[in-house]
Amino acid sequence: MSQHKPQILAIDAGGTMTDTFIIDDRGEFVVGKAQTTPEDESVGLLNSAEDALLYWGMTGEEAFPQMLTGVYSGTAMLNRLVSRKGRRVGLIVNKGMEDFHRMGRAVQSHLGYSYSDRLHLNTHHYDPPLVPREWTRGVTERVDMFGNVVIPLYEHEVEPAVRELVEEGVEAIVISLLHSYKNPVHERRVRDIARETIQKMGKDIPVFASVDYYPVRKESHRTNTTILEAYAADPSRHTLEKVNQRLSEKGAKFDIRVMASHGGTISFRANELARTLVSGPIGGVVGAKYLGEHLGISNIACSDIGGTSFDVALITQGDFTINTSPDMARLVLSLPLVSMDSIGAGTGSFVRVDPYTKSIVLGPDSAGYRVGVCNPNGGIDTITVSDCHVVLGLINPDNFLGGQVKLERERAYEAVKTQLAEPLGLSVEEASYGVIELLESQLRNYLESMITGKGYSPTQFVCFSYGGGGPLHTAGYVKGLGFEDVLVPAWAAGFSAFGCGAADFEYRYDMTLDINVPDGAAENQKTEAASVLQRAWSELQEKVTEEFVKNGFSRDDVRFRLFFRMQYQGQLNDLEIESPLMHVETVDHWDALVNAFEETYGRVYAKAARSPELGYTITGAIVRGVVDIPKPKIPEEELAGEEPPKEAYLGKRRVYWAGEWIEADIWEMEALKAGNRIKSFAIIESPATTFVVPFGFETVLDSHRIFHLREVSR
Amino acid sequence: MAIRESDLAAKQTKTIGWNGKTLKEMRREIDELTKETGYYAGLEKLPFKESEPIRFEKIFAKLRGGVVHARETAKRVAASPIVEQEGELCFTLYTPEGDSVVTSTGIIIHVGTMGSAIKFMIENDYEENPGIEPGDIFCNNDCQVGNVHPCDVHTIVPIFWEGEVVGWVGGVTHVIDTGATAPGSMCVGPVTRYDDGYQIACRKIGRNDELLRDWLVESQRSIRTTKYWLLDERTRVAGCHMIRDLVLSIIEEEGIDAYKQFIRELIEEGRRGLINRLKAMTVPGKYRQVAFVDVPYRHPDVDVPPYAKVDTIMHAPSEITINPDGSWELSFDGASRWGWHSYNAQPIAFTSGIWVMMTQTLIPNDRVNDGAVYATQFVLPEGGWMKPDDIRTAHSYAWHFLVSAWSPLWRGLSRAYFSRGYLEEVNAGNANTSNWLQGGGFNQYDTIHAVNSFEAAAEGTGASAVRDGLDHAAAIWNPEGDMGDMEIWELAEPLLYLGRSIKPNTGGYGKYRGGCGYETLRMVWNAKDWTMFFMGNGYMSSDCGLMGGYPAAAGYRFEAHGTDLKERFEKRLPFPQGGDPNPDDPQYEKVLESKEIKRDKQAITTEAIFENYDLYLNYLRGGPGFGDPLERKPEHIEADLNGGYLLPEYAEKVYGAVFTRDEKGRYHVDPKKTEERRKQIRQERLKRGKPTREWMKKERERILRKEAAVQVQHMYASSFSLSEKFLNEFRTFWNLPESWVVTEEELEVPTFGSKLKLTESI
Repeated sequence: MSQHKPQILAIDAGGTMTDTFIIDDRGEFVVGKAQTTPEDESVGLLNSAEDALLYWGMTGEEAFPQMLTGVYSGTAMLNRLVSRKGRRVGLIVNKGMEDFHRMGRAVQSHLGYSYSDRLHLNTHHYDPPLVPREWTRGVTERVDMFGNVVIPLYEHEVEPAVRELVEEGVEAIVISLLHSYKNPVHERRVRDIARETIQKMGKDIPVFASVDYYPVRKESHRTNTTILEAYAADPSRHTLEKVNQRLSEKGAKFDIRVMASHGGTISFRANELARTLVSGPIGGVVGAKYLGEHLGISNIACSDIGGTSFDVALITQGDFTINTSPDMARLVLSLPLVSMDSIGAGTGSFVRVDPYTKSIVLGPDSAGYRVGVCNPNGGIDTITVSDCHVVLGLINPDNFLGGQVKLERERAYEAVKTQLAEPLGLSVEEASYGVIELLESQLRNYLESMITGKGYSPTQFVCFSYGGGGPLHTAGYVKGLGFEDVLVPAWAAGFSAFGCGAADFEYRYDMTLDINVPDGAAENQKTEAASVLQRAWSELQEKVTEEFVKNGFSRDDVRFRLFFRMQYQGQLNDLEIESPLMHVETVDHWDALVNAFEETYGRVYAKAARSPELGYTITGAIVRGVVDIPKPKIPEEELAGEEPPKEAYLGKRRVYWAGEWIEADIWEMEALKAGNRIKSFAIIESPATTFVVPFGFETVLDSHRIFHLREVSR
Repeated sequence: MAIRESDLAAKQTKTIGWNGKTLKEMRREIDELTKETGYYAGLEKLPFKESEPIRFEKIFAKLRGGVVHARETAKRVAASPIVEQEGELCFTLYTPEGDSVVTSTGIIIHVGTMGSAIKFMIENDYEENPGIEPGDIFCNNDCQVGNVHPCDVHTIVPIFWEGEVVGWVGGVTHVIDTGATAPGSMCVGPVTRYDDGYQIACRKIGRNDELLRDWLVESQRSIRTTKYWLLDERTRVAGCHMIRDLVLSIIEEEGIDAYKQFIRELIEEGRRGLINRLKAMTVPGKYRQVAFVDVPYRHPDVDVPPYAKVDTIMHAPSEITINPDGSWELSFDGASRWGWHSYNAQPIAFTSGIWVMMTQTLIPNDRVNDGAVYATQFVLPEGGWMKPDDIRTAHSYAWHFLVSAWSPLWRGLSRAYFSRGYLEEVNAGNANTSNWLQGGGFNQYDTIHAVNSFEAAAEGTGASAVRDGLDHAAAIWNPEGDMGDMEIWELAEPLLYLGRSIKPNTGGYGKYRGGCGYETLRMVWNAKDWTMFFMGNGYMSSDCGLMGGYPAAAGYRFEAHGTDLKERFEKRLPFPQGGDPNPDDPQYEKVLESKEIKRDKQAITTEAIFENYDLYLNYLRGGPGFGDPLERKPEHIEADLNGGYLLPEYAEKVYGAVFTRDEKGRYHVDPKKTEERRKQIRQERLKRGKPTREWMKKERERILRKEAAVQVQHMYASSFSLSEKFLNEFRTFWNLPESWVVTEEELEVPTFGSKLKLTESI
């Protein structure tokens, strides 16, 4: 019998490979891999899980019944979207506006571009629309921004439009009319006529009205997202059902949940499944939040370096920041997404010298999994940050990914010499070290401006560093910022998967509002405003409850949190604020909401930018509801003293650092014990990550297998 | 280092320049060193960058990242969709002498415009009076001090380190109203500076980081949309202060000497960067091109004083000279004179704005600063519309001329790219970025409001030598174009959308066509005491195609007053919806009764009253095409027909396409028959053609008889009056007698301003 107690199953089903992470009660994890089987994803998934369990000497039959929970995230939906292989969707919009979806907002011609390419006009291009013009029909009606009907619905136009679409062979119909989030009557009437017509025609085609899914302003975002629901998300539901069924056949006692963009997990039975489109990258942030809750840390700066990018997200007062109109896959959307900022600087980023200005340019493109010139099988000619690591001795070329990929220092050395060192007139070591310095200084600037830009100081935050490349650079990018503490979990490389497993079972629903209250408003204006907001909250609470009921929970099981979005009247950016009250009704209640807003606003934009004389607008209501589910255990170990055990010491390696070759101590991460203190210059290695403790730093491993990196004088 | 030994002796008086100098002395020194050596500030070598390239790069990254970040953060304070949605704001860091070092993203024409204001303050001894002190805030939007148009309001803050000015930071936003003769930020009515609205000429408006009460009172009383003005100003001040803090933190980290050296070297690096790019991308030589655009002011719907009631044409011939060493000269000799309209431009606005376009093609990176300006020689005719010799000129929509005059430069560069084989870089030029839907009155919230629709930020782009231009995508002043969501514009404007459609035939025809524009039909709704007007090219196309490609379509206007829409809605009757695909075969009028419909080429108008249920068509232009349309692939023509990008009549006429239409309405182009038809067309072309010399002979006769339209003659007369050189070139080219000339006097149009000038007193 294995000594491991598998707790959490986290599945990441990619286009070609399905990865399975199984986490035990010590936070240790194994990774399994198997080929993705698109015709029945559950096959690949089970193969992948069995592969992982082999490391612990277990079978699926032994492991699944012990597991507490399972979370799925996959790229099937994203792939379906990006390769434009979704359903044939028909679209009904306002007559006269049939072009707006294919026009697609000009911003979509340069979304996802680097700064340089955004300027460089001739590089811009549009992706094909999800719904072509010939499957789009218009119906006459208009509702204005206040929700007043200006032009009645010309009902006689609906049935012919639906018939034409059905005859064109569409497999789903999406309806999106202007300002329907404000007054849904016309849109729902069109929906009902469409359903009747489809029935009359003897067909079975789903109909999606935007207001039933994303009742929020901005028609491009709302329409794209509702189309996504029909085009890519709904077809995934069946796949997930099957996965769930197979797991329960193997003895799993949990219902599979899916990671969603708002940072919680939702059931595959959820109404709005499109928000599971993107999930992988936010896993780490979710994990940091969970770990923070466990450790009593409420302000966290999450930093993640992978091969291609550096991602930063802030958790403040224990909560994510949510972006309500993000873009993904070059589409503007109206999903709530955990807001994360990324720059194209990772360990695989290419390093070049600009031929015109002779400046070093990092990225934005990268070698990704092919690592760099140092990888003889990578087929890469341009040097990368990883090549510099190899030149400097920071990573062991023979133990990269546990020795799976053999790197050649000589290749890296020669390439850095000709491509970087000679053009700049530096030695190869100086040039390589310079790249690391430059990268870390860019990451540091970025991290700092992210925090200060939101009105905070790094001293109020604990920095979490994870991702395969994170711990290599942690010291470099936190140096001098004055974080309260810097944490590197020993399971840094698998932290995203851990995060997926740790996510709440949570629904979040948003609704657009326009509640205007002038400065010095009369009492009745304030109470009226409070009641409109309260009505919206109540409606959303119902919606959230309905979702949980599908999974057998009752309203009493749900813990609700209420939020509102507020701005000064006339502004275009609002702030999302948690309501200090669970019910609002009176003038005092209203004033409490305003105070909460003013406090946040003053912090984010400087007090001088406060403009109460303009009055206030509430632009949206948000309800979040969670129910209790099992979460991964955070490891707990006995403290073993500061002195690391001898068996953890792997010897010394020459490392070039700040102008000289030095001898660094090499430690094996897994062999270190809680309480051990490691002094510089040290490199702590595990198969999936390398943690550098440079001069001026030391680190201590705590009882949760988390390293604390501290600045000390050399 | 740019400081001379002899200047190092500190002076007794309290100065704010470096090492005891005044800013004025520093300015003069930089100019002299640059002129003497040919290198910015005399920096033949870049010792800092060369010895410590990593540190140099780190400082740059921190500065640039910080400036961009300040813009992103400050932007969210603004209420105006122009600033917040369209990103019409920009922050730039300057040297103490007013040369730009680093600029944020955004409308980077302001690389130079705020520098011009700083230079103005230095030149006019602001150091002595009103004094320049830590915590001061200055404001400028004066068009004769380098601003583009009054709606670009600048906030400028000095940065002090131990008593010395180490730099300036400027922030600019495009405000929504300037208190001009009409509402809207770029109104058409102004013909003099006194109509252009509230102009602030480099005024101290704040002390100790706080805005002065008298300023707040006066500025709030001088413009229509006070709330937007207020929040825009807070946006600019917040951003400037963030950048000031950033600079001070860098100086603290790196030391003041390193910072001083860094900013100088970065500018010299910028100068070299442009030169190296030109060497890599172009072929030395002369590239000549020309631009025109209409000024149709003798129309009853253009309400201006009688001396401004002139129909004329803007003229902007340009010559790019690229030297073998990579330096270049841009000459606009032959341009027409400034005029009594709203489209004049100050030289700095004109030259600085060129970088907005160059960063889209020649130097698409973050290292644009005044170095590029130092690498470029400009020749602008004295008294030309881009160099007025009279302070009275109006500038509220300078872009009408700027856009038209710059676009040919892209054609010139494209010929160079083509010669080097960079076919993907070729671009046939920009769309005329119009129409500008503007106006104001009481809006749906019952407050006074001005509107200026930035749907114009997504026009068709020019075709390249390998593919079509992009449809409804960008503007010459903003490659990161966007048209915004209708639901957001309806929050900002009391105008209900009845259509948003791709407009066929608007992109110039060609082997690769220009990107098509689009159009939106708006119904006035919930407005009171409301006026609107049109602004765009109408009688003329303001661009050309490239290498056989056609220009984009010109503009027109459609407005309907006193309509029966209310009754139509009630009775569920048809009414105008969607686009106006073929203005030659108007469909709106078939489903509409109105007291008055204006459908004509008069695409520039001044304020007209609009009631609820009136209609306004906002048509956003397409881009020019590349190559002979007869070489366009039949499958591309088929896709254009089926996608509604091309009217069938023109597929036949221009492309020589032969096609059928099936029962579902889909077009099918027959490649074989098309090839046959094209052969015929080529034959017809040959028949119609004649040798150039013969044609020129005939044309010369017409010139001698002065047979051109009065607008054309007026344009040339004003060009001739400014440049003897241009006149002589014209005479030589056409082999005209030495006495031949056209003067304004002989044309019987008003000539106010052609002789007597009001020059600047300061």
